[in-house]
Amino acid sequence: MAAGEIRFRVRRGGGADDPEARYQTYTLRVRPRMTVLDALVAIQNGQDPSLGYRYSCRVGMCGTCALQVNGRPRWACRTRLQALGERVTLEPLTNFPVLRDLAVDMTPFFDKMKRARAWAEPTGAASSEPARIPPESRERGRIEPHIECITCGICYSACSMVGHDPAFLGPAALNRAYTLVCDSRDEIGPNRLANLADEHGIWRCHSQFNCTEACPKGISPTAAIQGLKRRAVADGAKSFVGSILRGRAPGA
Amino acid sequence: MESSGPPVPSSVWNVASWRSMYPGMWSWVVQRLSAVVLLILFPFHVLNPYIAWLRLAVLALVILHGMHGLKVILTDFGFPARHQRRLLWALAAVGVAAFFALGFLRRAFWGFI
Ligand code: SF4
Ligand code: FES
Repeated sequence: MAAGEIRFRVRRGGGADDPEARYQTYTLRVRPRMTVLDALVAIQNGQDPSLGYRYSCRVGMCGTCALQVNGRPRWACRTRLQALGERVTLEPLTNFPVLRDLAVDMTPFFDKMKRARAWAEPTGAASSEPARIPPESRERGRIEPHIECITCGICYSACSMVGHDPAFLGPAALNRAYTLVCDSRDEIGPNRLANLADEHGIWRCHSQFNCTEACPKGISPTAAIQGLKRRAVADGAKSFVGSILRGRAPGA
Repeated sequence: MESSGPPVPSSVWNVASWRSMYPGMWSWVVQRLSAVVLLILFPFHVLNPYIAWLRLAVLALVILHGMHGLKVILTDFGFPARHQRRLLWALAAVGVAAFFALGFLRRAFWGFI
């Protein structure tokens, strides 16, 4: 390899149309400040028009370009080649069905957003008048670090527990649910939590921090899940004490 | 979906990509393994506490296992997630200190030095 060249090892195939997974090597002369996405575009234009990958915005806003760079999930458009060395392995995100080459099917990820009811549900009084949640309030302070998610799926790919239990809701859906559970405008709060507190929900998380390490937005889904766990435990303790005070056996 | 193939296996279940594991993941793996090894070694230690290497191994494994447990407990009670790596290194240092302190106090090094 000449100076300024990088050898890319790219996982090809794996989709239903082309099921045989294999690795293909491309050598590319790179320029300073080039990103992984720039390299993919250059390879597709100059060497192999059949190479499959996905992107939209090119500036870290849409989250569609996520893939694995040297075994770690990253955004192709925001990962500079400079720091990666002369050999770079590109693979599709783990934990997602492969559509073709580097592009994955996001369906399971968004299905879990639905299962976690990851949208605000204000009803009655809350929706009739503009709510006031001051920026310096505790409520806002809890929500703020968790709202910038662009649903790229990187945390979902990084999570070993999603790999272990395909029914696990995963970091992104639980992170979104946490912002809603904390939100006073949302009126299904307690029910929302009950829906999440099972072995395919918050209790599946083992605090490994893989999602926290991987999220390019600096979000910590782990912290969100711990917040949900604390609330679930507090709710459980309250109903336990309540049932004792009412003179009934807990759980009866 | 019909048009998609199976997912690439998660890196944890793929021995070839262990190099890309994050520190928190290593910490979890070490805790699981230390538990299994302890379960095997501990009964022998109880039967004969005078086997020097076994004594040290049990001490080291209990500390390894306990330090990760402490990390999880602190996380459960709201230790800030952005400092989780620092917490891991701090607990590792505490663990090493505890190993030598307890080792001397409990005379676990007896037989070695
Ligand atoms: S939490 Fe972060 S890694 Fe996960 S989907 Fe949102 S932006 Fe991507
Ligand atoms: S292309 Fe939009 S985030 Fe990378």
